[in-house]
Amino acid sequence: MFAVLIDQFWSLTIAGIALGFIYVLISLGYTMVYGVLRMINFANSEIFMWGTFGTIITSRDLFGYTQTSEPAKGFKLALVLLVSLLMSMLVAGLTAVFVEFVAYRRLRAKGTNRLATLISAIGISIALQELMRLLTHSRPVGAPRVLEKIILSEVWGANIRLDTVITIIAAAIIYFILERFIKLSRMGKAIRAVSQNEDAAKLMGVNLNRVITTTFLVGGLATGAAGFFYVTVFEYTKFNIGFTMGMAAFTAAVLGGIGNIRGAFFGGLTLGLLEVYASAILGTQWKAVTVFIVLVLVLLFKPNGLFGEAVQQTRA
Amino acid sequence: MNQKIKQGLAIVTAAALAFGLASVSTATAANKTYYIAYQGPLSGGEASTGIDEQNAVKYAAKLFMAKNKGITIKVVSVDDQGDPAVASTVAPGIGTNKNILGVVGPAYSGATIASLPYYKQGGLVLISPSATRVSLTDPASPDFGGPVFHRVVGKDDLQGPALAKYATAGVANAKVFIFDDQSAYAVPLAGFVTSGLKKVTGASVVGTDSVPNTTTDFSPTIAKIKTSGATVVIYTGYYSQAAIFIKQLRDSGSTAIFAGGDGVFNQEFPKLAGNAAEGSRVTGVGGLAGISSKLEADFKKQMGVSSGVYSVESYDAANILLEGIKAGKTTRALMLKWVNAYKGKSVSGNTIKFDKNGDISYGLFAGFTSKSGVLVNTGIIK
Repeated sequence: MFAVLIDQFWSLTIAGIALGFIYVLISLGYTMVYGVLRMINFANSEIFMWGTFGTIITSRDLFGYTQTSEPAKGFKLALVLLVSLLMSMLVAGLTAVFVEFVAYRRLRAKGTNRLATLISAIGISIALQELMRLLTHSRPVGAPRVLEKIILSEVWGANIRLDTVITIIAAAIIYFILERFIKLSRMGKAIRAVSQNEDAAKLMGVNLNRVITTTFLVGGLATGAAGFFYVTVFEYTKFNIGFTMGMAAFTAAVLGGIGNIRGAFFGGLTLGLLEVYASAILGTQWKAVTVFIVLVLVLLFKPNGLFGEAVQQTRA
Repeated sequence: MNQKIKQGLAIVTAAALAFGLASVSTATAANKTYYIAYQGPLSGGEASTGIDEQNAVKYAAKLFMAKNKGITIKVVSVDDQGDPAVASTVAPGIGTNKNILGVVGPAYSGATIASLPYYKQGGLVLISPSATRVSLTDPASPDFGGPVFHRVVGKDDLQGPALAKYATAGVANAKVFIFDDQSAYAVPLAGFVTSGLKKVTGASVVGTDSVPNTTTDFSPTIAKIKTSGATVVIYTGYYSQAAIFIKQLRDSGSTAIFAGGDGVFNQEFPKLAGNAAEGSRVTGVGGLAGISSKLEADFKKQMGVSSGVYSVESYDAANILLEGIKAGKTTRALMLKWVNAYKGKSVSGNTIKFDKNGDISYGLFAGFTSKSGVLVNTGIIK
């Protein structure tokens, strides 16, 4: 039973960390919106899915890579990857702002109850998914291989692959920038102020609508970056991938303490590793069972998640 | 909640279709309109299978109408989402709508079982392109679909051993790792592959896994494959997951032979997987042996997309019903008789004929190997 874990420990760990970082970035989308609005953005899963197409459009349509073309090298490689990343972030960021405008802003202005916003968010997420399904004829979309999956080195029997290394390092940098942004920038402070006390923030002259839109945008940018890493590692996307990934990222956010950015970080990594280890030890059919038992246990002892506090706030 | 809303919509759509049809049934003598139905998942997570199949049915109807002026064929979409619960709510309306002469489908075995009581009652003939569960054509089983149920696809208990044999061909003392996608299609098929392997000399099962069909990170499964020292990996799910998996397997440095069943048998598989698919072994129904590239090109021109999973089976099934309409079998009773006694050619030239339980006579499987981005037929697996 544990033979696989012992034999393949480092391969599994690296894969789990890479997957975990993708979860971290998606959970930021959930956790930031929750921080300021106290509402779950159910459309975040579809914002992620739309983000993955940003990378596909860039490599396939903008740079003309096909399934059979040679992977890029040197400067061209860096260029394609960078543009893909920015494109995914842009697509997802704009989608997130669109969701805010359509599903949240007007209802908020009208002062409707939270349930109405919940339903409008679910509504827009179904619409986004079905629209992509129609655009792609319900087919999976393969991404061309831009980044050759070179095995950099072997450490303790584990293959360290270029794509996983890039994912881990780049995702960590993006996370760090976001964290600093929330902690140090003027807008970040405004976001935290709204998160702590909306009315007081308003009285201090914080423009609430602008803060909320920025929160959606920043959450969308992080989620879009996750879309880029997802396509780079798995070279695939489909209209329905959002649900599974979104569910996992939401779980990670709750595990870490929703509304808390550091919580999203540890929640995402914990979940990534947990999924991979559980699948290897017990069989992949036990993955969901294990993950949710752990989640329930954590919530039993720490109802606000690992890093949550009694009063949940967006904290850096 | 998402699922519930969709289910509600499916019911409303089906009801609207059923009522809508009743009002347009007065066809003029000059131009006769007949209805056949397609049933399968047309929305929700399984939608791609259903849409591929329905496209093939619509394509067959288009070609038929072009050849037979004066006959209009309407294909009624019955969306069961591949879900027995949804199927049991849409099937009654179709069962009682006498305008519908026959059904291509249902696509999935579970949904078929849930729909059967209504279709048996209505005497509505079914030709499924993809329901492979063994019990559907077993007279001793409560799931038995006779006399209305037919299928133009091979059964799991024939495919399992064929896949076991094909996957291990030429491999001495094959160490086999089997995994499925947890679907109602894949799990039983994996079982029949396992029992089929017992008859392959020297072969042994060294590991198994069961991976949700939404998985994109296969690293735990690959870790198990590496630890098990498998030389052959058999996957009983569908092509889109197979394509993701095979890329990751090859990237991990493994050179084990990869094989899959008719769920993987799709020209999209080598396209999605690229070079990683090279040498992969896939089983498909023997009757589909030589699908022509000319037909595919025309399909793409007419339907706007390339053909997909079970396209050929769906096309064949639709043609059986359409030929019946041409031969004047325009009541359900006549159509049922027609299908039961049917003897004709499949698109690939094989003879289609059903046995008394509704199984296709040529239920033999052919082996396909991926070469330069195309699945190439290597003949019937014996």
